[in-house]
Amino acid sequence: MSEKEKSFVPDPGTCVPWKIKKEELEEIHGNEEIVKKEWEKLDEFAYSFIWFWVQR
Amino acid sequence: MNEKEKLYQERLERYTIAMECGKPDKVPICLGIGEWVVKYTDTNLQEVFYDLNKSNSIVDEMLSDFDVDIFGGGPCLWWPPMFDAMGSKLYKFPGIGLDENSTFQYNEEEYMKAEDYDDFIANPTEWLATNFLPRISDEFAEPGSYRATVALIKSAAAFAMQAGTMAAAWEKWTREHGVVGQTAGMTKAPFDTLGDALRSMKGILLDLRRRPEKVLAACEAITPHNIKQGVSGPGADKRFPCFAPLHRGAYPFLNPHQWEKYYWPSLKATIEGLWAQGKRMLFYAEGDWTPYLEKIAELPEKSIIFQIDNTDAKKAKEILGGRFCLQGGVPTTLLTYGTPEEVKEHVKRTIDELACDGGFILNPGGVVMGDAKKENIYAMIEAAREYGVY
Repeated sequence: MSEKEKSFVPDPGTCVPWKIKKEELEEIHGNEEIVKKEWEKLDEFAYSFIWFWVQR
Repeated sequence: MNEKEKLYQERLERYTIAMECGKPDKVPICLGIGEWVVKYTDTNLQEVFYDLNKSNSIVDEMLSDFDVDIFGGGPCLWWPPMFDAMGSKLYKFPGIGLDENSTFQYNEEEYMKAEDYDDFIANPTEWLATNFLPRISDEFAEPGSYRATVALIKSAAAFAMQAGTMAAAWEKWTREHGVVGQTAGMTKAPFDTLGDALRSMKGILLDLRRRPEKVLAACEAITPHNIKQGVSGPGADKRFPCFAPLHRGAYPFLNPHQWEKYYWPSLKATIEGLWAQGKRMLFYAEGDWTPYLEKIAELPEKSIIFQIDNTDAKKAKEILGGRFCLQGGVPTTLLTYGTPEEVKEHVKRTIDELACDGGFILNPGGVVMGDAKKENIYAMIEAAREYGVY
């Protein structure tokens, strides 16, 4: 992953935005929307976890 | 629709009308169950904090007893096992480092250093994940190590477990008691995000003198995140306000010039950003906000519920009444040191003065802590029902 890792500033509500991840995936054979939707759900969960610690 | 569903709808309507500054059939009563819960049962604070199922079952029992419209939440703001998993330095909880019946303590430190401002401002989320988390967590101090990896897995799992447990509990309380949850989602004033957990009180007060431009830039960088957090997860339900406990904005932590220049602009932007998405904020003004009421009145109409703790209630009514729903009115000190008769008299006076033309929710001014008298809580609710009929 480190070779692929790009520098980016995630928007509020995201940690690794789908557009970044999509560029790293070689090909999506099926329905991209299904993958994107679930990726974004978990990404927002991770975002909430990270910010939880500072919103005491 | 069964009896409890009907009750829920009645209470929801009461709450919604009050939030819109209208006059419902009765003054809505809101109660959050604080640490005084330990007086209600034979438990102790360690059990209440650590054992979520036990804590929720106590709340369940108490809600059967209280005729309140709106429930502000149970006694535990945090679930300590999630913190223990990370070896968190942020708090001491009852049972570890503190007596089993002591309230929690916050270990305030400059977890973000003055020289970190630029990196934080450039990429706040990445900075928190890669710098802040290791600094506040003994178990996560060396990311990539075995202990750190396990700690992160456990703590993230705890975060999800707690959310699932609490969602199920709220669903049960709503279904079985017909009570309405006060808030959905949580956020803070950007200055508080910076001053509470990152720079600490001492750090941010020095920053106001030594690097004020960094404070403003950091608050600006935090603002879009705090807007997002207010509408994330449960906050997506826009019928209810997001909870925003406000700390350093209370007078006299900052002088009025500092408040206007450093505290207010980013909080105002956060509220306006939320309101643009149809999301209201429970402006939980802990302490005294009297000097700032005129500025608060400039917010978009109905965009907040203003919590009256030590703020001058008459002035709040005069300046904010009709524009925003007001909430509070019963000092927590009265619940601790007063008698039931004094509480009832105070509730009557509060309703006469603050609720006369609607837009008011009766509530303790702040979080009801462990020293409140049980009989005074009952007296508050009884008086509110007796005198709070429009």
